[in-house]
Amino acid sequence: MFIWASNMGKKSDVWQGTLALMVLKTLETMGPMHGYGVARRIEQTSGDRLLLNYGTLYPALLKLEQEGYIASEWGVSENNRKAKFYMLTRAGQAQLKHEAREWEETADIIARFLAPEKESL
Amino acid sequence: MRKLRALIVRLGGWRGRGRRERELSEELEAHFQMHVEDNLRRGMSAEQARRESALRFGSVDAAKEQVRSGWTVGFLEVTRQDVVYAARGLRRNPVFAVTAVLSVALGIGANVSIYTLADNLLIRPLPYHDPGRLVMVWETNHTRARNEFNVISPANYRDWKAQNNAFESMGAFGDGRGVLDDGRRVEEVRVQYMTSDILPMLGVPAYRGRFFTAAEDLPNTPDVVLISYKLWQSWFGGEEGVIGRSIKFAARPATVIGVMPPGFFFRNREIDVWTAMGLDPARDYRKNGGRGPSCVARLKPNVGFAQAQAQMTAIGQRLEAAYPAFNKNWNVKLEPLRDSMVRKVKTSMWVLLFAVGLLLAVACANVANLLLARHNSRRREMAVRCAIGAGRSRVVRQLLTESLLLAMSGGVLGILLASGAVRGLVALAPRDLVGGATIEIDLRILVFAVALSLLTGIVFGLAPTLAASRADLVTGLREDGRGSIRGNSGLRRLLVAAEVALSVALLAGAGLLFRSLVGLQSVDPGLDANGVLTFRVSLPRARYPEAPRRVEFYQRALEQIRALPGVRAASAIDYLPFRGMAAGTHIFIAGRPPAKPGEELVSTIRTVTPGYFQAMGIPLRSGRDFSAADNTVESPYRFVVNESFARQYLAGEQPLGAQISAKMQDANPFGEIIGVVGDVKEGAVDQLPSPTIYYVHAHMGSGQMVFVVRANGDPRLLAEPARHVIRGLDGAQPVAEVELMETVVRETFSRQRFSALLMVGFSLVSLLLAAVGIYGLLAYTVTERTREFGVRVALGAAPGRITALVLGMGARLVLGGTIAGLAGAMALSSLLKTMLFGVGAHDLATFALVPVVLAGVALLAAYLPARRASRLAPLDALRAE
Repeated sequence: MFIWASNMGKKSDVWQGTLALMVLKTLETMGPMHGYGVARRIEQTSGDRLLLNYGTLYPALLKLEQEGYIASEWGVSENNRKAKFYMLTRAGQAQLKHEAREWEETADIIARFLAPEKESL
Repeated sequence: MRKLRALIVRLGGWRGRGRRERELSEELEAHFQMHVEDNLRRGMSAEQARRESALRFGSVDAAKEQVRSGWTVGFLEVTRQDVVYAARGLRRNPVFAVTAVLSVALGIGANVSIYTLADNLLIRPLPYHDPGRLVMVWETNHTRARNEFNVISPANYRDWKAQNNAFESMGAFGDGRGVLDDGRRVEEVRVQYMTSDILPMLGVPAYRGRFFTAAEDLPNTPDVVLISYKLWQSWFGGEEGVIGRSIKFAARPATVIGVMPPGFFFRNREIDVWTAMGLDPARDYRKNGGRGPSCVARLKPNVGFAQAQAQMTAIGQRLEAAYPAFNKNWNVKLEPLRDSMVRKVKTSMWVLLFAVGLLLAVACANVANLLLARHNSRRREMAVRCAIGAGRSRVVRQLLTESLLLAMSGGVLGILLASGAVRGLVALAPRDLVGGATIEIDLRILVFAVALSLLTGIVFGLAPTLAASRADLVTGLREDGRGSIRGNSGLRRLLVAAEVALSVALLAGAGLLFRSLVGLQSVDPGLDANGVLTFRVSLPRARYPEAPRRVEFYQRALEQIRALPGVRAASAIDYLPFRGMAAGTHIFIAGRPPAKPGEELVSTIRTVTPGYFQAMGIPLRSGRDFSAADNTVESPYRFVVNESFARQYLAGEQPLGAQISAKMQDANPFGEIIGVVGDVKEGAVDQLPSPTIYYVHAHMGSGQMVFVVRANGDPRLLAEPARHVIRGLDGAQPVAEVELMETVVRETFSRQRFSALLMVGFSLVSLLLAAVGIYGLLAYTVTERTREFGVRVALGAAPGRITALVLGMGARLVLGGTIAGLAGAMALSSLLKTMLFGVGAHDLATFALVPVVLAGVALLAAYLPARRASRLAPLDALRAE
């Protein structure tokens, strides 16, 4: 019994994948940030339509770090509080571009399906 | 690719846990605080801020748990936990841990040692190309058991070679000794004479140089030799120029044409020189020739062993019909090469392997018992674990990990023990068993040892895990969870009984072998081996071509040796008794009708110088020994015979004066028997001595004699003076095989001594383990029934009664096991029959003694718990939990 697998499996894989994408994009746009900041920014970017369970962010950050897409470092936050900052690595940057392209393509194909009236037989 | 990186990071995830745990807490705490601060800035109250942050974050513990599980690989993490937990458990119970690990170590160690020996001797394939297809070709005489695997006649060999269809190559060989002289060193070495087919047949290429060709394998061609790697290194310093070097071998010039690879041997590990046999194609070896060399052949690829045997039997029958005088009753017997090398030791090796397997079983039972005992005291712990969510499989897994940890620790210790033990075994083992072989633990055996340890762990781990899986959790959680032990103790009693049974079997085997050994050693060998020094001097034919010169050499040597201080008597013989080698041939008694072919009288022939019987301590029964006058070439033939000869061939007649002759030479005049000496139980102590005729040296003119010198004091002190004498007579003549006769005689029993010693060793270890098992179980039972004993004492039972009670429990345990063990031993002991001497397989004395020994050991083991039980203060006992 893989305890890890059984726990992770509770979240749907799609959102898990998108969370990773969103973290990477956030770090690219905003530069190095701590976990709280990333979470807040993701919510902002989605126009507050996404309400993250912040706890789920940290396993995702760990996974990204293990895969080498982000790196971490302890630093000091705006309020002079000690916090762990994450930054994008070069591999992460490449992965971000790659995933973004894939999403765009997926979205494109789905869009075609969802607008069938325009097609003629 | 990235996933792989992640996996690798996770594999190392068990390091730095503490630090990471701390950082995680800090990070999450920081997150929480920052969120609260944000909320405060938005205008929430402190309370609201905190609540909203907590809600939005979700469960901190769940998040932490998720992160934690991402740190490592799940499976490994669980295993790591199990191992750490198991190790901790063992550390807290050192007595248990030490006992268990030692039990396993003893069992595994013994097994690995014996397996190493057996592997080198029996199992490992011979170091030749496709060794399974090599067979020895023997001559066999079905009327005489002694000649079942007999050496062959070169004439027959030639005919087999010509007529067979079953072998792709066939060659003849023989072992001997010769003096090697390279200009600086002169020493006698062991040589193997081979026909040119054999080295190519074995398929092992020469390390340097080449093999000899068929053209070089003819008489009257220049001698060529191959030398062993060992000789090349020690004599020639491993220099490349040895090929083509001229040396002297057997006093004739020879050229070194090749070096064999390190460790190469063929049936005899002590050979250092190989040279051509030089069979004469023009000679009829049936006339004036006997049977001497051995034969080896390689089966054709598509021919089976049985097929080949059938064909050779047919050829043998043809030859028997064609040459009745020579071949009557003789035929051909094939034997796989490996079998021929281990024929004598196969049984003892299998017996030892079986015994050591029994020992391992006892060790396993012991550890299983110990584990069961421990499991009982952890019953509540297991129940609690199950209650808070560990699946039963998790608990079982934990127990199995413990067992495997014990087994592997024991295994590692066992391997260490074995590496030492193997060295001891090799030192103790009979020379012909291991002579020269490098027997050591290598990778294959290590793998075997590890696998055996794992298997052992699983086997004895089964007991407590089965018990755990059947455990009733509710009763386990109850306060007096002890109540449900009953189910377990039945299994434990069975295990102890099994240990006892196996120990009994081992003891019985040891007893039988030991008695055999004692029996063998107490048989009067027929001579007095104490205080006798022997050494061999072989005169090379090239330097001593005529018999009279050889006779003179030995005569002069003996004169001088007899004159040395400390020498009581000195003489010489062609082959020492107890070496298993002697000449034998047909004999004739004057006045009797000639025997029909196949029914001739046979006798062993030995050649001695005068004074031999006195020097060897062989009693003269009647008549006289050879005198100096007899020991001349011109003197009439006279013989001395042994009692067996007189008994078998001259029963009812007066042996002295009878005229006999033996087919030893070209001319075999009849001669009178002048003396009868006592039998020497040579060859094998447990066989009837063969009729023997002693020739006097002068008539045989042998150039290879062994000196026999009886000393007044320590015979070893005579070695140097004797060597001096020989060198004084001939500076180039080395003295070889200087040995005490005692050692020679003792070597005869070395195999039996080896087996007996090992069996005794195993049974002692087994007894120890069984004693520990009995003690453990009884001690536990006493603890169990403390309250009951308390009640008994309170009601007036005397301490003696309690002791008797406990001893009675012990006795019941032992009784069951002993009966089972004796029954098993009686059934199996008939397998030992070939190894026994003077004692039947169902020897009453041994089988009666074994239970007594076991009872004694059991009594000792039971004594301590019994005493403890009798000493219980009733109040404490009643209050005990």
